[in-house]
This record gives sequence, structure tokens and C-alpha cells, in this order.
Amino acid sequence: MKLRIEKSVLSAGLQAVQNVVSSRSTLPILANVLVVAKDNGIYLSTTDLDVSVRCKVEGTIDVQGSTTIPVKRLSSIVRELPDSMLSIESDEKDQTSVMSGSSYFKIVGLSADDFPSIPEADGEFSYLIDQGVFREMLRKTAYAASTDETRYNLNGVMLSFKEAKLTAVATDGRRLALAETEMEFPDASDADMILPSKAVSELMHVLKEAGNLRIYPRKNQVIFSFEGTVLASKLIEGTYPNFRQVIPSQCEERVTLEREALLTALRRASLIIADKSSATKLTFDANNLVILTMTPDVGESRETIPIKYNGKAITVAFNPDYMMDPLKNLSTDEISIELTDNLSPAVIKSDVPFLYVLMPMRVD
Amino acid sequence: MDRVILHVDMDAFFASVEQLDNPGLRGLPVVVGSPAEQRGVVAAASYAARRFGIHSAMPMGEAVRRCPGLVIITPRRERYQEISNAVFGIFERFTPEVEPLSIDEAFLDVSGAQALFGGGEDIAQAIRRMIREEIGLTASVGVATNKFLAKIASDMHKPDGLTLVPSTREGILTFLSPLPVGRIWGVGVVLQRRLNEAGFMTIGDLQRTTLPVLDAVVGRHTAEQLLRLAYGEDARELQTESEEKSISKEHTFSRDVRELERVEKMLLELVDEVGMRLREKSRYAGTARLKVRWHNFKTITRQQVLNPACCDDFTLRAVALALLHEEGLAGRAVRLIGFGVSDLQDRPPEQLSLFGGDDVQRQKRERLSHSVDQLRRKFGPDALRHGR
Repeated sequence: MKLRIEKSVLSAGLQAVQNVVSSRSTLPILANVLVVAKDNGIYLSTTDLDVSVRCKVEGTIDVQGSTTIPVKRLSSIVRELPDSMLSIESDEKDQTSVMSGSSYFKIVGLSADDFPSIPEADGEFSYLIDQGVFREMLRKTAYAASTDETRYNLNGVMLSFKEAKLTAVATDGRRLALAETEMEFPDASDADMILPSKAVSELMHVLKEAGNLRIYPRKNQVIFSFEGTVLASKLIEGTYPNFRQVIPSQCEERVTLEREALLTALRRASLIIADKSSATKLTFDANNLVILTMTPDVGESRETIPIKYNGKAITVAFNPDYMMDPLKNLSTDEISIELTDNLSPAVIKSDVPFLYVLMPMRVD
Repeated sequence: MDRVILHVDMDAFFASVEQLDNPGLRGLPVVVGSPAEQRGVVAAASYAARRFGIHSAMPMGEAVRRCPGLVIITPRRERYQEISNAVFGIFERFTPEVEPLSIDEAFLDVSGAQALFGGGEDIAQAIRRMIREEIGLTASVGVATNKFLAKIASDMHKPDGLTLVPSTREGILTFLSPLPVGRIWGVGVVLQRRLNEAGFMTIGDLQRTTLPVLDAVVGRHTAEQLLRLAYGEDARELQTESEEKSISKEHTFSRDVRELERVEKMLLELVDEVGMRLREKSRYAGTARLKVRWHNFKTITRQQVLNPACCDDFTLRAVALALLHEEGLAGRAVRLIGFGVSDLQDRPPEQLSLFGGDDVQRQKRERLSHSVDQLRRKFGPDALRHGR
């Protein structure tokens, strides 16, 4: 294989794929990037056997062929090379030479024949959605997914294609984030899939602001395809809890707040929190929200935010981190909070199709 | 203003209670403890017994050798606790600031009580009189400006003694000066030997030395601490009942045990007792601790942080067993097993769950543990036992 490629182009391609490598030393080839130069282009692929990503980069192919190269090493070398044009050549022993200006590197790789095959995105049915819209849905929900490996069915984002809508949901059992968008697809294509968090974060990393994204549902697998990039992921096998059942249909009180004001007040309140299991108390009363945080042996803080509220006085305690998460990932100026009492779930909404259900903390 | 601290120590408490209940034993060499064939040790010795050189913690066999006519009485814990409660009741007439050290001794901070009851000496005499007249026992009391000095003082004129430590710096130095270094809190046999070998026999010897000299003998940290105490300085506050820091129980087997199953069974009984005390106080434990003394007296403790803090038997049992299994017996025989909880706190904030998760489980376990407590209180500790 022999090719010429611009440094910035190769660098961007490697950026897109290099996160998907396995640390499993039993299969060293999983730490490598597969480089394939074929009649129609240059392809970079990585996989950790659960998630695979392949992207196409532009360059000039002098001799077709393929090899695999340790991706982290190749990436750091390319970043430091002096010239904007690189010439890359691999031999039959899978040693790859990289030349740029006065620099010459030889990197020892492994045979492309041993690289696991990457699923192709073609034929069959696919959902069509805008990249930016999809990325935004992931951003608004992904943080709520569980990282507790014993609750593996919650270790990702649930994508539910149903009734001409895509619903993205993530929960760790204490709070639940949900984003929705309308889509067009035939009723027969309704599907639910739990996308693992690793694939979610890779997608958020590689998706662009706009442009078509095709989603190919397969058995136990899903393939995302956009602008020369293909990302395939295994799905989490398991039952997702009935999330619609825990969304309160109606709460007793509703209050509208400036998102930024609430977020900064909570951020300050959390400075007095000692550990993850601590709570902060919110008291909604006539035209005032008081955020009171007390930690034994540490201290206390009080924040007062003027609000438009004339419902009953409610004091409810929350984990401040859980309350801040949606506020950080929304961009609207205003949010609303719906409440019933100190032991019932609160619902945070914004004017975009988004909602966040948060269970309170019981304090004495 | 100087603090006024009393250390009240009941004289030969268990033995005195026995002599109180059975006047025929008065003046006789009496010890409380299990018989020698059960490898008992002396829990308390009457003053007549002490004249034979018998002291608490001495193996019973050794005590009998020293005094063949020794009267050995099996301990009656409930009775001692009853008398102890009466004694502590007297303390509380003078101050709420009471730190119990054991069933028969306590520190009292009477600084704030002086306006009502007179100076430290008056209060000490009043307490001694009430214990004598109302209960029929004697107590020795030390009165000083801190815990360290008060504890030393109560021991100076035992039994039935009252010792006042001067409150001036000069007076304190003179008071401590002739005492052997071993009387300092924290100085055990090994440290005492090292100090003696370096020529420090009395606390006065320490008062006359300098930090660098002492540093070379015992190390910086210990040297600083020893010097502070040699000058009679001790700023420790009282740890009163209301802020109890830990609860623990232990059991010495009548013969060393090699079977894991028997050790587990006893451990679980201790866990249940500790759990019940914890719940009685409406506290939650932040740390659990296992204690094992092997047949060779080597003693280990292993602890585990509990997050979130808990108070139910199920969690405590699981943690206790896990700690025991992690250590393993590895063929060693167990002499003593103990379990304790510390870092006691109020009910921790509890994150509720959406789908019915940990919080529901935890609430169930707590409710069940409380129900078991009620049954045990009503029908006795053996009314209900956990299955395995």
C-alpha cells in the first residue's frame, strides 16, 4: 500500500476513530487502526468488538492495499510531523513508513487479515434523521444513564422509534431524562433499542451540526451512517423499564425559573456538599425559592431566588448534581419545575420536547 | 476560667456489689470472674483479695494459687448494671456533662455546676456521700482542671479517697513530679521500659528534660505528647453519652474455637445485639468493625465503611460475615470475637428511586429489624433468630 495524504485530513480521520480501541491486551490488534486503500478511497477503522467505527478520508492512492497500525502511536506521530503533506507506505511485513519533509518514521503493525470485520451499512431499511438533531437528543439524555454495571440494561440510551416519533430516554433509577422528535417512517418499522453509553459518547464525538444520518436497525446491532463515516454498535440485550409509567401525568404545582440563575445558585450550594449522598433543600414559597444546604462538620449555605409562585409552600430535598445535570445540557432561557410534595417526583421541562423526572431525597 | 473535671471511680466495683448484697462476704478475699477451669480471669478483686497481690485481668488459676481461700463469684452483669445506673443517676443531679468510661467510672465536667453546688471539692464530697448513703458503696474521686489529672488523682487515695489536684501550674508540676512515668495515660509496659532505660523514672524526670533529648528516645510525636502530659496539659473534651461515638460487643469463647461455623454463629449474635442498641438510639452506623483475638492472643481488627450509613441487621450481618471471611480462619483457633459500629450519625439523606430500588429494600430491612427488636424486647433475646 502506498498513498499520499494531507496531514490535517489524516489527523481529523484518526481523531474520529481513535477512541474506539480496546485495552484488552489479549487482542493487540484491537489497539490498531485498519487502513484500507481501495479504488474509491482511503478508509480508517477501529473496533473494540462492541463498537466499531470507520471513516473515509481523501488522499491519493499510488498502490492499493491495507495494513493495521497502533492508532495512538500513529496519531501522536502525525500530530508532530513538520510538513503538511505525508506519504505513507506499508510493506508485506506490515511495517509502515511515514515520510513528511525531512522526517521519516517506521512503525511496526499487524496484518489487516487479522482485523475483525466491520459491518457494512447498506441495503435494507434505515431511519433518516438530521445529525445535529440526533446529537442534541443524546446530549440532553446521556448523562442520566446508569454507570452501575449491575444494572447493565440502564447503561445506555434507550431509542424508541414509535408512532412517527423518536424518543431518547436515559435513567439510572433515580432520575430520568427524555427527549423527543418527530420523524417519518412506516409504522411497520417501530423499534426499541438500548444503545450502550460507549457508542453514545462516540456518536456525540463524531456527529456534525447538520447533515443526513441514516440509522440501520439490525438484530442485536445498529449501524449509523453519515458522510463517509460508519459507526456500528452492539445493542444492550435486556428489558428497559417501563419509563412512561414513572412520568407523572400531572403535578400539583408548577413554577417557571430562569435556567441560568437556578444553575449558578445550585453550583454555589454544592460547594458546601461533602459527598455524593448529600442533599440540598429547596423551599418554594410565595415568590421566593430558598436553597438551603447543610452539611454536618462542614457548614451551610443559603441562596434566595425571586420567583413567580403562588402555590402551596413545598420543601423538597434533591441531590444537587442530579438537579444541575439537565440545566447544564439545556440551552433555553427558562425552565419549569412541576412538584407535588416532598416525596413525589419533580418534573423539569423546557420549551423544547424534553422532560426530566427527578426523585427527591428523604431527609429528616 | 479553669475547667473543673471530676473522675469518679467506684472501689472494687463488682466485688463491692457482691459484698453489699451478701454481708457475709465483707472483709473476705473475694473475686468476681469465671472459675479457673473455664479459663476465667479476675474481673474485680476485693481489697482483702488485693492484699494477696490479686488484681483484675489476672488468670483465675493464678489468683487461686496466691490465695487458696479465695471466694470466687460468678458475675451478675444485670445487677452491676442496675447499681451503675443508680450511680450515674447521682452524677446527673449535678451535671449533664458525664462521660462514662465503663460501668463503674466516669468523667464529670462540673465547671458550670459550681454556682449551684459549690466548688469541685464540695461536689465531689456530695457525690461520695450520696453514693455511700443511698447505695452503700464507696467511690474514689479525683478533682482537677482536666481529664488526665483527674484520672491520676482518683487513683491516689483508693479506696474511699478524695484527691484534689492544685490548679496552678506550679502546683500541678509538684503534684505530678514524684509519680512514675507509667502513670501517664498511654504509657504501656514497652514505652515505660524504654523511658526507664533512658533514665526517666518519674514524671519529674520528664519535666526536667527537653524535647530534642526525649525525641531521641521515643520519637517526635510521642515525645511531644509525653511532655505535654508531664506538664499536666490535656485539652480533651468530655465525650458525653449523647454523642456516643461507637457501640461494640465481644465474646470470649470458653475454649478456643476452630470451626468457622461456630465463630460465625457467635458473631451474628453480637451483630444483632449491636444492631439493636444502634436502633434503640435511632442512630446509623458509618463504619463496621470486626475484632478477632487468636489463640495466641494476637488481636486483629478489620473495618469497612458503610455507605450509605445503615442500622439494619441484614446489612450489618452481611458486612460482618464478609469481614470475617476475608480474614479467614486459615486453621487458626479463635479465642475472642467482637463486632462494633462507629461513625454514628443521624439518618442519612436517602435518594428515592423511580422504579422501586435500593431505597425500598432498605426501608423494608429497617422496618423488619425494628419489628424483630420489639419481639425480642417482649419475649426475650432468643425469641427470634435469623435463619442462615
